[in-house]
Amino acid sequence: MTTATAHGPAIGMLGIRFESIGGLGAHAAGQILASAAVLRLGLNGAHFSSYGSEKKGSAVKSYVRLTDHDTPIRSSAPIDAPDCIVVFHTALLSNPVTVAGLKAGGTLIYTAPAGERPEALKRVARTCRVIRVDAQTIANEEKSRPNAVLLGALCGALDALDARAVLAELTATFEKKHASAVPHNTRAFERGMAEGELIQGLACGEGDLPTMRPGPVWGYATAPIGGVIPLPGNTITNNLTTSRTGYMPVFGAEKCVHCGLCDIVCPDYCIVWGVVGDGPVPEVTRMRGIDYNYCKGCQRCVETCPTGALTREEERPGMAARLRVPIFDRIGGGLNTK
Amino acid sequence: MSTTIQTTTNGTMTRAGGGTVRQKTDLKSGNEAAAAAARDVGFHVMGYFPITPSTEVAENLSQMAADGEHEICMIPGDGEHGAAGICYGASLGGGRVLNATSSQGLLFALEQLPVQSGTRSPMVLEVSTRTVSGPLDIRCDHSDIYYALNAGWIVLMARDPQAVYDMNFAAVKIGEHPDVRLPVIVAYDGFVTSHQKRRLEVFDDLEPVKAWLGPCESPYTALDPSRPVTFGPYMNDPDLINNKVQLHLAQEAARRVIPQVFAELGGMTGRHYPVMDEYRMEDAEAAVVLMNSAAETAKEVVDRYRALGKKVGVVSPNVLRPFPHEEFRRALKNVRAVLVGDRGDSPGAEGGNLSLEVRAALQVDPENRTLVITRIYGLGGKDFDDTDAECFFDLALEAAKSRKVAKRFDFHGAFAGDPGQKPPIGLPVLETAELQRGMVHVKVNERTGLLDVELEPFWAMVAKPNRIAPGHGACPGCGIFPILHQMFHALEGDVVVLFQTGCAMVVTTGYPKTAHRATYIHNLFQNGAATLSGLVEMYHELIKRKELKDAKELTFVMVSGDGGMDIGMGPALGTAHRNHHMMILEYDNQGYMNTGAQQSYATPRGHRTSTSEVGSRGGGKRFHHKDSAQIFAATHIPYVFTAAEGYPEDFMRKVAKAQWYAKREGLTYGKVLSSCPLNWKMGDDDSIEVLQEAIDSCFFPLYEVEHGHTTITYDPDALGRRRPARDWLKNMGKTRHMLRPENAADLESLEAEIDRRWRRLKAMHEHPEL
Repeated sequence: MTTATAHGPAIGMLGIRFESIGGLGAHAAGQILASAAVLRLGLNGAHFSSYGSEKKGSAVKSYVRLTDHDTPIRSSAPIDAPDCIVVFHTALLSNPVTVAGLKAGGTLIYTAPAGERPEALKRVARTCRVIRVDAQTIANEEKSRPNAVLLGALCGALDALDARAVLAELTATFEKKHASAVPHNTRAFERGMAEGELIQGLACGEGDLPTMRPGPVWGYATAPIGGVIPLPGNTITNNLTTSRTGYMPVFGAEKCVHCGLCDIVCPDYCIVWGVVGDGPVPEVTRMRGIDYNYCKGCQRCVETCPTGALTREEERPGMAARLRVPIFDRIGGGLNTK
Repeated sequence: MSTTIQTTTNGTMTRAGGGTVRQKTDLKSGNEAAAAAARDVGFHVMGYFPITPSTEVAENLSQMAADGEHEICMIPGDGEHGAAGICYGASLGGGRVLNATSSQGLLFALEQLPVQSGTRSPMVLEVSTRTVSGPLDIRCDHSDIYYALNAGWIVLMARDPQAVYDMNFAAVKIGEHPDVRLPVIVAYDGFVTSHQKRRLEVFDDLEPVKAWLGPCESPYTALDPSRPVTFGPYMNDPDLINNKVQLHLAQEAARRVIPQVFAELGGMTGRHYPVMDEYRMEDAEAAVVLMNSAAETAKEVVDRYRALGKKVGVVSPNVLRPFPHEEFRRALKNVRAVLVGDRGDSPGAEGGNLSLEVRAALQVDPENRTLVITRIYGLGGKDFDDTDAECFFDLALEAAKSRKVAKRFDFHGAFAGDPGQKPPIGLPVLETAELQRGMVHVKVNERTGLLDVELEPFWAMVAKPNRIAPGHGACPGCGIFPILHQMFHALEGDVVVLFQTGCAMVVTTGYPKTAHRATYIHNLFQNGAATLSGLVEMYHELIKRKELKDAKELTFVMVSGDGGMDIGMGPALGTAHRNHHMMILEYDNQGYMNTGAQQSYATPRGHRTSTSEVGSRGGGKRFHHKDSAQIFAATHIPYVFTAAEGYPEDFMRKVAKAQWYAKREGLTYGKVLSSCPLNWKMGDDDSIEVLQEAIDSCFFPLYEVEHGHTTITYDPDALGRRRPARDWLKNMGKTRHMLRPENAADLESLEAEIDRRWRRLKAMHEHPEL
């Protein structure tokens, strides 16, 4: 963390990090927050997000630095040791990078249904405030997006943020182009403020969490020259579960006629096939299921399936792990069925 | 006017209500600041081509144009080279011209830069700095701008969004000064500054600013027939050297003009930029030289070190061309040791351009004893934070103390690697027999002389391993991957693929992982077809000389997209005319989706993209979609086809034919309509329906041109399925506006063009010779 706090009269230097997935609105939330701070509250502020190419479904971090009017913001670096972390997707909590660097006196806000107490939060310092809000459900109910709910929850949690100013900025952002969204967003924001639940007894760590910046696997002395990758197909070790936003296709074998249409349209190559020898007709190719490590939940297979063997279901915690049919018997061991 | 002095974000001592012109506070990124400045300057013409991270400049201006906030004529180039040409031509007309680019875009345009400066035509080019390929990396360093240092342009460095805004006004004024008359680059750090929103002040009263800028005056114009002039004569020796002396004198004049302009601008804004930004250098014994955002980070460490009694400071130029050598000599005169941080290397030179030039500047002063250390840092977007800056100051302090430099040149932040650590291995090598499963059967029809294809059923095809592994990072519902899957199903045997830059390339090869199981090559989209044609000929040459061990039969496939086939069209047509034995497959998703959905030439008229935004003044793309299938048909290659995601049998039959012809006769070209749910603004599972509507409206006819004979393979008229284009357009967020009455002209124009092309195609289908 680069920012000096020596200037700090009123709010000092406040670092906020949004941990999210592309498409959930973390970038927009950061922008609204920083705009409200600078244009409505007279603070100095900066906002930026981590970027790759413009893809939906990949991890996004969005950062907001806030400080007093006359304090310059000089660092452009990511906020490694934030005062506040807002987690937009429960699945992100399984990666320790998500909460890395949270200060001992900081605030953590996560989205999950009531009663969800993710194990991963035990590492957080007991002196932190941990707040749960069910942003996805509230957003669905209010026809808004999780970012409006989480902005509300954030304003409810941090004294430095005047909720009226942030809500005014949220409204101003939408009223020009999507005026009809404004009342929905307002309700989502207000419910976020009101329905944040202070979770006690879950965080039991000590002190600041260590900062983490994953380094490279290969270095200049070990990487093949020229940037070549002589390891064909090693993306199979990726897990893309967090790309799904609430729904997953579910396979019902009894209705399947094994036509192969789903396989033809699946962008994620996650339909699993196998040769089955003990059926009425021996040695035939049969669809066996879906490997949810790779499925991004687009539902194109469901849309294409002629028999209704594939259906769109709301994803509940643990469901993907239970229904998953691995496409490769041993990851990294090289044995593949496809 | 207030006299209060305080420190702004850029560290220059200025304002609080200072300046003679009314301003207002805003929160903007560097790209937004550049766009706001462009609007406020009121440039006449912008020629541009999208490239990350500079693209937002054009995107912002596109939205502002749609909302009626400016009158800049915005021309999307066919590539950065074309965009630079547009700018050159426009500047010869005597108006104000703007461009914005980064990285490869700057390099692709580079050939035009000395033309612009050598003929003394001012314009402004925003460079959102980014590293240079390859391997491809979209993030920040200064290696692109280093390439431009010999181009004869003025180069201004903008360290934060406020400076980006301010420097744009300075750039116009400096470049147009009669003693200078040079084009000007405003360079700011890609992503770090281009995408980071900061508080800044923008003019709230443009009258005095416009009065200060004055009219754009040039001694010569190409638009006054009463004063004909020849631009760009054929000039050999003994004349050329004299032209270069003039260029040198213009740069020297800029040394005088730049501080004047900065002072005048500072009077209006209250923000004063020195040519050399010196931070706490009064009695510094050790210093760090850095450019742009990193210098700001280092200032924080200076404050902290000064509090500990360490005499350190930061030097960072606001102007890089003309190079401020005198200012460097003065700033570093009493400094014992300086570390120059170069965000870009000149491999083999033991330093990037900045440190080489700082060393050269100091060498001129016979009394200078400053030790110079070089560190290459922050390449390809590697973050530079306070711990990095501390490391630099510690090295400089150590050298100042010991009067010795332990290591003159090194990389900061590189990693040697841990021999025990390796990326995960992937999948076993695919055996030829696994890939040669007889899923397609091609034979020549004796009667017609054309090819007939039979396919195995889909369920049988699943036995064939995919040449791309799962785990790639495409968006949910991406249309490209079903297309690749279907293509690979139909391709028999071993393949070598080349992907031009685009979505499919980025999401399959994030280092150190690759989804490709077959040999894969990336080259930039300017040159994919030419690159693969070279490989094809090497293959045949090695076989001919019996030098290829265990030679296997290979099929070579180039994949172009997203957005279709635009920037590499020249080399692709050259490849077609030479008729190499290879296939080209274009996935047409109607925009440059990988970089945020800018219009491509394949985008149909009226469609909304991030560079053809829609607002109160209308908008949408201004010209009709490119017909690359017909362009390639005109090269008389053996086989051209179109296909769409929703017709897999049709597509796979065509792929089988293409492979047959590519092996025996020469180049084949396929254009495939591919959905992009994210940027077509529809549901992830809406693709098939929307594609069907595109096809049934005859917007995207499915056909093939085999040995010059056109055959429509799906005829909506004959099947009674023809639908109006509006049935297709109403189902995408990017086109719904076209159904509103105020956009009727665009809709009618698109419908008429669709119908015209369809009737023409049908005539070809029916004619025995076409």
